[in-house]
Amino acid sequence: MAHHPHLPKWKETAEKEMKGKSVDTLSWTTPEGITVKPLYTAEDLEGMESVNTLPGLAPYVRGPMATMYTGRPWTIRQYAGFSTAKESNAFFHTALASGQKGLSVAFDLATHRGYDSDHPRVVGDVGKAGVAIDSVEDMKILFNGIPLDRMSVSMTMNGAVIPILAMYIIAAEEQGVSRDKLEGTIQNDILKEYLTRNTYIYPPAPSMRIVADIIAYCSREMPKYNTISISGYHMMEAGANSVLQTAFTLADGVEYVRAALRSGMDVDTFAPRLSFFFGIGMNFFMDIAMLRAARFLWHRLMSQFNPRNPKSSMLRTHCQTSGWSLTEQDPYNNIIRTTLEAMTAALGGTQSLHTNSFDEAIGLPTDLSSRIARNTQLIIQEESEICHVIDPLGGSYYLESLTSSIVSEAQKIFDEIEKLGGMAKAIESGMPKLRIEESAARKQARVDQGLDVIVGVNKYKLANETIDFEVREVPATVRDEQISRLKEIKASRDKKAVEKALADLTSVAKNGGNLLEAALPAVRARATLGEISDAMESVFGRFVATTRCISGAYASGYSGDNNAVTALRRRTTAFLEKQGRRPRILVTKMGQDGHDRGFKVIASAYADLGFDVDISPMFQSPEEAAKMAIENDVHVVGASSLAAGHKLLIPALIEELKRIGGGEILVVAGGVIPPRDYDFLYKAGVKAVFGPGTPIPESADRTLALLEEKYLRRI
Amino acid sequence: MIQDPQHYVTGVLNRDSLMLAKTITLIESTLPAHQELARTIVDRLLPHTGRSIRVGITGVPGAGKSTFIERFGTMLTAQGHRVAVLAIDPSSSRSGGSILGDKTRMEKLAIDPNAFIRPSPSGGTLGGVGRRTRETLLVCEAAGYDVVIIETMGVGQSETTVASMVDFFLVLMIAGAGDELQGMKKGVLEVADAVVINKADGDNLVRAESAQKEYQSALNMLMPASPNWRPPVLTCSAREGKGIDAIWKTILDHRDKLTESGDLAEKRKAQDLDWMNFLLDDGLRQWFYASPHVRETLPRLRRDVEEKKTSPAAAADSLLAFLQTRNGK
Ligand code: B12
Ligand SMILES: Nc1nc2c(ncn2[C@@H]2O[C@H](COP(=O)(O)OP(=O)(O)OP(=O)(O)O)[C@@H](O)[C@H]2O)c(=O)[nH]1
Ligand SMILES: [Mg+2]
Repeated sequence: MAHHPHLPKWKETAEKEMKGKSVDTLSWTTPEGITVKPLYTAEDLEGMESVNTLPGLAPYVRGPMATMYTGRPWTIRQYAGFSTAKESNAFFHTALASGQKGLSVAFDLATHRGYDSDHPRVVGDVGKAGVAIDSVEDMKILFNGIPLDRMSVSMTMNGAVIPILAMYIIAAEEQGVSRDKLEGTIQNDILKEYLTRNTYIYPPAPSMRIVADIIAYCSREMPKYNTISISGYHMMEAGANSVLQTAFTLADGVEYVRAALRSGMDVDTFAPRLSFFFGIGMNFFMDIAMLRAARFLWHRLMSQFNPRNPKSSMLRTHCQTSGWSLTEQDPYNNIIRTTLEAMTAALGGTQSLHTNSFDEAIGLPTDLSSRIARNTQLIIQEESEICHVIDPLGGSYYLESLTSSIVSEAQKIFDEIEKLGGMAKAIESGMPKLRIEESAARKQARVDQGLDVIVGVNKYKLANETIDFEVREVPATVRDEQISRLKEIKASRDKKAVEKALADLTSVAKNGGNLLEAALPAVRARATLGEISDAMESVFGRFVATTRCISGAYASGYSGDNNAVTALRRRTTAFLEKQGRRPRILVTKMGQDGHDRGFKVIASAYADLGFDVDISPMFQSPEEAAKMAIENDVHVVGASSLAAGHKLLIPALIEELKRIGGGEILVVAGGVIPPRDYDFLYKAGVKAVFGPGTPIPESADRTLALLEEKYLRRI
Repeated sequence: MIQDPQHYVTGVLNRDSLMLAKTITLIESTLPAHQELARTIVDRLLPHTGRSIRVGITGVPGAGKSTFIERFGTMLTAQGHRVAVLAIDPSSSRSGGSILGDKTRMEKLAIDPNAFIRPSPSGGTLGGVGRRTRETLLVCEAAGYDVVIIETMGVGQSETTVASMVDFFLVLMIAGAGDELQGMKKGVLEVADAVVINKADGDNLVRAESAQKEYQSALNMLMPASPNWRPPVLTCSAREGKGIDAIWKTILDHRDKLTESGDLAEKRKAQDLDWMNFLLDDGLRQWFYASPHVRETLPRLRRDVEEKKTSPAAAADSLLAFLQTRNGK
């Protein structure tokens, strides 16, 4: 196609409007490194492979189904779970009565990591960030009154996937529903756990075997069940841009396909049941394009395995709007952000969607906030009339260009991963995690300088923040409740049968056989989640992550000599001159809380500001963190807490520090800590609390001021 | 801060890790007052030092040093040893700050009651890594640690410094990185008491074994430091815990042989002398540059040399003459 005849004329007119400046100055480079021009025309689409295709037909750019939402809109599937099975069950019933179509279960972190509620390492975690499940009895309560043959249930479980999926199957069985009728999805995506989500239990090799065993068992026994949900969402929330998200997710997918093929399966027996999960951020067109590009690429990547069934190379996906984009400040703005992101997911052709609640950065959703989140989707589906046309933006010059750019950029990264030997090897090399963390640190620097605007956070700030709505708090008594139920179950079951079933499971772990199948008798016999996990851990061992930390990425986001970074560097150097060493901070994560984005960003940025930064391993107990603080002789410990363990774990840390002679060491805290808990923490001895959205120069300034006050005044 | 040196001395001797940590902080401090206090403490602790096996470990970044120490250290504590680990991490030349992440890779050892791990930033201390690591090592011995391990990154000069303060210097390598021999300076191999090829596991096993042969023939061409010890090349997998005990046996064997031959005592003596010489050189230099006369004159002389008003040699002579006048007084 030739130049648009009037393009020079447009340019001339535009440059006149711009008082002589070139229109090229209007181009914008996205974090993905894609240049976005101010105007796209038909000419931009020339020769593009991904343009002018049809939905339901390869390469599926315009949607996996031929009719898309004109037949049936996407499934509204809200992710939820908290406290006990009973509480969560009641929450599910309300949601279903109010228009939700499928369930999606959030488990607590003890469960995720394979611990029963009575384990000493989970004192701060039971029921806090999801529902606590210790045995099949809990699972049965969770689905009480919910017919599992007619309800599609998605479960976010990766680490403890064997006991949880087995408990689900047995709960259904005892409801009278045979497993072949079960519909839904198990996340079962372990690779991204090592990368971003951090609820792994075993090392990669046995974990990949578990994935393959589940794929094998379900493909045979549960034909309507999605055996894996290959997830990019968590990567996005950890900081990945849309190209990284696409490339890493599809590379994970290819790795799973290869694992299944290696275990002897035929590609068409399992590939149609692979599903995906993408995260949708605030760059409206970018993420519409991302979903289209991902479908195109998956089709291209799958062709190397020569599937005969077209469904094998058809990417079907769930989506979730971005929680990271939501703010603690002026939180009602979050409803608007989520609406925009929900539109993105819909226009990108998602098969199901979770929309976040406006209290995302404050606590778990309440009845009110989750109703609004659900209604956001209902209103789009029922009132906006967007569902009448398939891929309504298909053919948009801009969108098609973006789609094609993502395809080529993501393919480059994918090729890089292939060179490293595939995603499992790449993860081992640390490359993807460092890319994501670098992207997160740069983003933080841009937000802290106001270069990327977040309304209410770095522009149009409220003078006074008030929280005039209920905030959910899960009481500490949930743990006691779970513990007493555990005792009951252990007292009433046939001990011999449990022991035998567990020994059989261990033997399958050691000698081969299908682990999911082998876990079923243990679950029937009322073995607990922790026992089943341990039975496998005794053979597989527990995985310990290698924590690496980038340096320089935060500071390099600042330009010039006179900025917050240089000012803080002067102060840390002055501290060194007067005190004989740099301010030394231990940044730690306690409990099973695996949110490490803030932890890494803080560690890396503080080092850039001239602090000596000790980082602890993940999942510390307060005692372990205190021992480290003492040995390393730090001035201050910074506890990063996002999974609601703060009221228990941080005071315990302070107590332990005092007990072992480290009473001098200051303690500050950061993360998702509802403002109403600040006083509680101050009373416990915390010197400063930094909530979501606190610019790093601000928390560093306050932390330094505390140290200057304590150490420099006296000299 | 407590000023009484005895307080620290007693604490360290009582194996109080809090006081050990505080003493190390004093050693690492750049403040003269802290330095002086530290010197007194170290002096008083001196009679209680010298009774550990001192092991230095170096290797390129990512060779698996920390992972190795995790395995090695927990094996030793399980045998009843008390293990101290001193890890030196690079400070950023831009910000001066550092990231001290060693314990994330020594998760078990970090919480072991019979282990003490102290990561230290490489930057910003008087006398450099050499002084304070040496003194820290002594203090750890006084606190009853009978194996002291020093981890240092195999880039820069810190590794030869570390070699000069330990009994056994272990160089950790990985196979398949291509030209490791070039990457690691030859000098490092010359001071190695053993070379260990790590990550001998999985698909890497074969490569590790062939690297072992390569290194062994490379080492055979070097003159051994002692006629009683030929540095062996071993393989291990820190991740899987394979070959770790053989390395410990090698270290013990080295100690036995060299104790018997008297080489070890000689080595420590020579290290002490070297250290004294270093301190002399360093002290002289510091005293010289800190003196008011030099501080005043040097900038002018520099200008003169730049502007060719005087020759470099004459300029240096005129300043050094100052030493003699001081001497004459
Ligand atoms: C990103 C994210 C994730 C990512 C984490 C990726 C990663 N590797 O970190 C993913 C998608 C994997 C994830 C998973 C889960 N998440 Co999440 N997640 C978030 C989210 C959206 C943003 C957190 C974030 O990274 N923000 C960006 C960083 C930079 O900010 P930050 O950590 O707050 O740090 C800033 C300040 O707090 C402060 N700060 C923090 N720490 C420190 C320390 C020091 C020393 C200092 C000085 C300052 C400081 O400075 C930083 C810069 O401003 C929050 C909601 C929100 N908007 O906050 C939910 C949230 C934390 N998640 C939540 C939950 C429940 C989960 C899950 C447990 C769900 C489940 N049941 O499966 C899982 C499991 C995760 C796990 N293993 O622990 C809940 C926790 C609920 C609660 N506290 O009551 C939240 C609040 C969402 C919600 N309302 O439901 N999550
Ligand atoms: N396969 C394999 N990997 C290992 C082994 N030892 C260490 N690694 C991995 O190599 C990476 C680097 O290990 P570290 O122990 O951090 O290496 P290091 O030499 O201490 O690194 P720096 O302190 O950064 O110089 C990690 O991902 C380890 O898991 C091993 O024996 N086998
Ligand atoms: Mg290391």
